[in-house]
Amino acid sequence: MTMSEVRAVEGRVEPPYMPDVPAAFRPGEVILEMRNITKRFPGVVANRRISFDLRAGEIHAILGENGAGKTTLMSILFGLLQPDEGEIYVFGKKVTFRSPLDAINMGIGMVHQHRKLVAAHTVLENIILGHPRAGRILNLKRAEEEVVALAEKYGFRIDPRARVWQLSEGEKQVVEIIKALYRGARILILDEPTSALTPQETDRLLESIEAMARSGLGVVPFITHKLPIVLAVSDRVTVLRRGEVVARLDTKDVTEQLLAEKMVGRPVLFDLKKPDVQPGEVILRVENLSTLNDKGLLALKGVSFEIREGEILGIAGVSGNGQRELAEVLAGLRKPTGGRIVFEGKDITQASVLDRWRMGIGYIPAERKDVGSIGEFSLVENVLMNFYFDPGMARNGIIDYAKALRLTKELIIEFGVSTPGPEAKAKTLSGGNLQKIILARVMARRPRLLIAALPTQGLDIGAMEFVRKKILEAKARGSAVLLISEDLDEVMSLSDRIAPIYEGEIMGIIPAEKAKKEVIGAMMAGSRGEETQQ
Amino acid sequence: MWQFVARSLDASTIFTLAGLGELVDQRSGILNVGLEGIMLFGATLGFIATKVTGNYLIGFAVALLIGALLGLMHGFFSITLGVDQVVSGMGIWILGFGLTTYIGNPYTGPLGLERIPTVGGVSPFFYLGVVLVLLSWFILFKTSFGLQLRSVGENPSVAEVSGINVKRTRYLAVTFGGMMSGFAGAVYALYYNPVWNYNFLMGWGFISLALVFFSMWNPLILFGGSLLFGLLWQLSLNPQLFLPGLMSRYLWRTVPFVITILVLVLISTKWFRTRWGAAKPEALGVPYVK
Repeated sequence: MTMSEVRAVEGRVEPPYMPDVPAAFRPGEVILEMRNITKRFPGVVANRRISFDLRAGEIHAILGENGAGKTTLMSILFGLLQPDEGEIYVFGKKVTFRSPLDAINMGIGMVHQHRKLVAAHTVLENIILGHPRAGRILNLKRAEEEVVALAEKYGFRIDPRARVWQLSEGEKQVVEIIKALYRGARILILDEPTSALTPQETDRLLESIEAMARSGLGVVPFITHKLPIVLAVSDRVTVLRRGEVVARLDTKDVTEQLLAEKMVGRPVLFDLKKPDVQPGEVILRVENLSTLNDKGLLALKGVSFEIREGEILGIAGVSGNGQRELAEVLAGLRKPTGGRIVFEGKDITQASVLDRWRMGIGYIPAERKDVGSIGEFSLVENVLMNFYFDPGMARNGIIDYAKALRLTKELIIEFGVSTPGPEAKAKTLSGGNLQKIILARVMARRPRLLIAALPTQGLDIGAMEFVRKKILEAKARGSAVLLISEDLDEVMSLSDRIAPIYEGEIMGIIPAEKAKKEVIGAMMAGSRGEETQQ
Repeated sequence: MWQFVARSLDASTIFTLAGLGELVDQRSGILNVGLEGIMLFGATLGFIATKVTGNYLIGFAVALLIGALLGLMHGFFSITLGVDQVVSGMGIWILGFGLTTYIGNPYTGPLGLERIPTVGGVSPFFYLGVVLVLLSWFILFKTSFGLQLRSVGENPSVAEVSGINVKRTRYLAVTFGGMMSGFAGAVYALYYNPVWNYNFLMGWGFISLALVFFSMWNPLILFGGSLLFGLLWQLSLNPQLFLPGLMSRYLWRTVPFVITILVLVLISTKWFRTRWGAAKPEALGVPYVK
């Protein structure tokens, strides 16, 4: 089908530019259908005969682990990829999307997980970017009125003149949603919609999603982890595994357990058993610690806490509230501007990164590809990154490669890393396997203090479960663990004490057995906890 | 005195024209460090064409054409092939330096035509430059196309999902940038100093490049900067006018670069970034390959 045919089709449907055209379809009518979509990449079939349909006013979630074919399907739906086989029908017309623009013009809107916004521009400029009605010369005033009206209709609050780099993740997402709606989207694709939001922002988003569905839009959230979200809002769920549809269910008939089983293909443990360890002596004490972020702003504002032997302290918070800086300052990668770090009774505030490793601090960085590993290096060399300074592994500066190879082999087996072998390059590993090898090499050092920054972010359920189990094992062996996570459920299920962080301040520390999700959520959004302790 | 000011304005015109092309280029995310080379080409071929035909218009047309072609060539390397833009730009400069020396050598000497008439003491190109500055500012900041172009330079993948053709926008910008450089070169060789000589430009292109950084990618500041740089350049030709003995011709010529470095220091300070955000287009110099 050529572009002119697509345009012709578009003429017969609704002009999708106008945000407020009356719906030309009745609620319950099928507005999107994908039939037998197959997409092959060299060596893999990413999508195999996937069929999917969406009705007006429906929320139809697509669920699957990493590698299940979600991203491919999403890209096909938005015109970023073209299917090898199969057909797409939008409003009953067969369409071929050659680019995202074709999809947009057919009323499909996309809200990306990795926000597609120009940071230096204002909210309004981002929303009208590429909009056909923006005209040759921009009429910002009219556009602003329209955008504000549209936002209000679905219960969003946003300042159109703010610059995007000043916004929180939740606000950026709102901008993306409004941008799609302003473009006239009738079908809204949401990629991991709640992954970066606070519980409160999540609730607000879910309300807005329901408002959009009520007004006749079709909404397709693509979800990897947050199963409760699926249960909360969707009408139907399609589960993908290994590129195929394995189940299509009405949400009212499913449980979280069932969905997880369908996704992974085996039963999954949701409640990990916390080992019963009595906290011992204080391993880490942090006093009034402050530091700056990369922009030179105060990112950590006088944080204090301590962690004991066999104890997990969970830092709960939304991305960008100082967690990254906290992890880096403890690992020695960032200089503190004030305060003290005391490790096993010694002041290590000024100690180098290497000294900290030698003393028994282990660090799992959040950025496993950029900071945690070197893609071009083999697994042996990557394991050596935590051992090259170890007298057992290098004598007089000469590395005992045979020993390193042996260790890597052991770790690959013990941690179930799926790889051709220890000489494989790190970049060939999937996210989950890469995280396993990073975790493995840190654990092999038996650290007294383990700093785990976002250890399960972006992993699928199987790998996530494994990493969590290993963190609990470290606790059982008597390590003190600082767990930094944006997944509140994870923090609550693993930690002994929970410290919500907001704008660089710890809002209070709550023992896990007394922690309520609503309270922690409110503290993550800035309210001070009452039951606090140091 | 008036003559000195008029000559300064004439000099600034060349910086304005070349800098404006480079500014638009960089706003789309393409860095062309080879504009000195394109200016050399525009100046030399424009000079030869005019000398052979005796017609100024043909000379300028040739300069615009060669500028556009070299811009397109830089575009092909940096947009289609995705090579390092600095490498491609330096290649264009070296090519321009070598090839124009070879081509232009037989034409060494003055143009030998009647001078282009001035308007109110300065060249008509000065007024053209002012118009182009205002027009570029308006297009960049007040039109849909300008927003698209700036978005491509900030974050091409965002632009693409918003339905913007990144490659086409960048090609347009590099071609425009090349044309402006070629034109600026022709203004030098056909009006400002109509004598062909070995390496006659001696850094005008590099000063124009520095000017873009100085301008913080804003055409209006670029214009102000070009007036300042034009004055400094003219002082370098007449070092006896101001602080004689202390400032030699060569020292004067370094001043634009010193000022640019100071501006670059300023915009990279914490104070500036927290107050104004990043001035530099975020995707500048980064190839967009999918």
